[in-house]
Amino acid sequence: MAKKTAQFINKFVVWFFLIGTSLFVLYPLVYVVSAAFSSQQNIAALSVVPFGDGIALSNFEFLFKKTDYLIWFKNTLFVAISTMLLTILVCALNAYVFSRFTFRLKKGMMMALLILQIFPSFVGMVAIYVILLRIGGLDTLWGLVLVYVAGNIPYNTWLVKSYMDTLPKSLDEAARIDGASHFKIFYKIILPIAKPIVIFLGITSFTAPWMDFIFPKMVLRSSKVQTVALGLYSFVTDKKNMFSTFAAGSLLIAIPFVIFFVITQKMLITSLGGAAVKE
Amino acid sequence: MNTTLKPDGSSKAKVLITSIIFMGLSHILYFKQYVKGLLFSLVEIIGICLTPFFIHKIYNLITLGFPQPDLPVKQRSNSIFMLIDGIMILAVIAIFIVIYIVSVRNAMDEYKDFCLTGVLREKKGAMRSVKGKTFPLLALSPAVLLVLFFVVVPLVFSACVAFTNYAAPDHIPPNNTVDWVGLENFTTMFGGETTWTSAFGRVAVWTIIWGFLATITCYAGGLIMAVVLHESKIKIKPVFRSIFILPYAIPTVVSMLVWKNLLNGSFGIVNRTLMELGLIEKTIPWLSDLWLARFVCVMINLWAGFSYFMLLIMGNMTAISPDIYEAAKIDGANKFYMFRKITLPLVLFQTTPLIIMSLTHNINNFGAIYFLTGGLPKVADSTLTSAGGTDILVTWIYQLTVTLMKYNYASVLAVVIFIVLAPLAIWSFRNTKSFKEGEV
Repeated sequence: MAKKTAQFINKFVVWFFLIGTSLFVLYPLVYVVSAAFSSQQNIAALSVVPFGDGIALSNFEFLFKKTDYLIWFKNTLFVAISTMLLTILVCALNAYVFSRFTFRLKKGMMMALLILQIFPSFVGMVAIYVILLRIGGLDTLWGLVLVYVAGNIPYNTWLVKSYMDTLPKSLDEAARIDGASHFKIFYKIILPIAKPIVIFLGITSFTAPWMDFIFPKMVLRSSKVQTVALGLYSFVTDKKNMFSTFAAGSLLIAIPFVIFFVITQKMLITSLGGAAVKE
Repeated sequence: MNTTLKPDGSSKAKVLITSIIFMGLSHILYFKQYVKGLLFSLVEIIGICLTPFFIHKIYNLITLGFPQPDLPVKQRSNSIFMLIDGIMILAVIAIFIVIYIVSVRNAMDEYKDFCLTGVLREKKGAMRSVKGKTFPLLALSPAVLLVLFFVVVPLVFSACVAFTNYAAPDHIPPNNTVDWVGLENFTTMFGGETTWTSAFGRVAVWTIIWGFLATITCYAGGLIMAVVLHESKIKIKPVFRSIFILPYAIPTVVSMLVWKNLLNGSFGIVNRTLMELGLIEKTIPWLSDLWLARFVCVMINLWAGFSYFMLLIMGNMTAISPDIYEAAKIDGANKFYMFRKITLPLVLFQTTPLIIMSLTHNINNFGAIYFLTGGLPKVADSTLTSAGGTDILVTWIYQLTVTLMKYNYASVLAVVIFIVLAPLAIWSFRNTKSFKEGEV
């Protein structure tokens, strides 16, 4: 009897935890969805009951017709894809060199990368601004990409290097004996077997530009080169509050992300766990 | 294959001196490696040609220009350009010195090789080894250049600014010049002026409290949820797991701005809901009361941050070998005992380095504070220092740079963060597996 009660309490606590946390997690998200589909624009006018204002598409209409949302989206997509590809190429190549070669300065370089990765990159904001001004990269998307890729190198090189250290060296040694060049070994052998960490790197470097605010704000001035984060932020400044438009715009970027993360959660769990074990 | 070198090691000084006198000279004279030698020489020639330019830039770096109030603004010397150019030139000179050292060492290696074998290396063989040895150099050079000019130079610049008077309103180029002021900014920040010192103390203490609280709550939250999900036998577990991943999947900017609007004191949904339910009569100042706002920051950060740790810990739990559990079962251990004695210690052990990393991340967690509260509410010294009640050091740096244009004080703070966090990073690095196993 006592055991049964204990089991019941146990079950009750578990369900309580799960449902309570779910409510906490979903609480703001429900309002994002309901605000996006409401006919109101200001949060003050929004009903406190989710979907209490009925369902309307006026916010999406406003977003596509009255704002540059599509341009922002295209810009961000361009920045995200270029950042992802360049980060993968540069970091994986670096990691391969650090993992498979011995040369002078190697330890010093690894240490330097480690120390550099603790800084939030906007500490050097003013200098980056002036450097971009000098090379004509201000107010251009590629200038932003350069800043992102450079900022990604220190931490991610470490991440990929620690993964590559665990891969057997026999494969690439065999290829080297067969006369394959270093780059060919990297491209044909190392990159395919390091796929899990490369995919992880791709995901993180693709998602970061969608969320970043400081650098776009600093680098991009004219309205034609804004990114989604900047545009969305402009809806909810102190001067104007168009929360529903903001919610509609956020929903449109959040949905692909959420679907993607939910689908790949198994892979995320293993790669995060794997990265932790190796570090 | 004639060479004037002796294979007994006595020509060491000769090789050393010629290679130091002119880069690549010994390669041409003694080792018959003309391509390599010419390349090294070319680097040296370029270096010599640019020397006057270098000296000019370095001179500017030291003086940072002189005030020229009689000239039109556009023609006055711009101290900030001078500072950055100077630092970039120093980086170029550093690269040059590295190439020089490499060339000398390479010449010495060639000679050592010659002493061992008694013959100069075959042309083909030499070329091949060049290709093999230069691969790391070629592969790393784009990254090194990018990191040097977009990470190192900006950081050095911001460290240098801490020793200048680059601040609004009197020292903003191009109207005025900036000068080196030594440790003046540091003394102002640490004791010289009461307003700044007390603001710094307040922000620094809150940054540390915030860093620890944010890390501990997220870690504990993630651990609890991971354990509950892992140990329970509920059928719809994947549904809950998918829900709990949502905060991780949603961009921080979006989730923080949503919370900011929901918690708004006057028109936010949370207050209006509570009012309509009759639970409160006056609105709760979620984000405008100092301590409540700080509490809200930690709670919302928990909302946004626990998923990451949950995923991480679940990854670790699934990675534990089932053999251990099998063995424990044979020994008659019950489930709770196995959890307490096997799962928990292993998970804790493996995630400890990540707690440190997460701590440094939270101390620098700009998004969680800036988009939620913007550093508000205002406190007594906010008008002068722009540091609000929930501002942490990084958001304060941002405010100082963007709103007040007090670049010098912002840089002092950056230097402080560096001094505190660098040892932490090095310490956690020394504790990594690969470092201990000597693989680095």
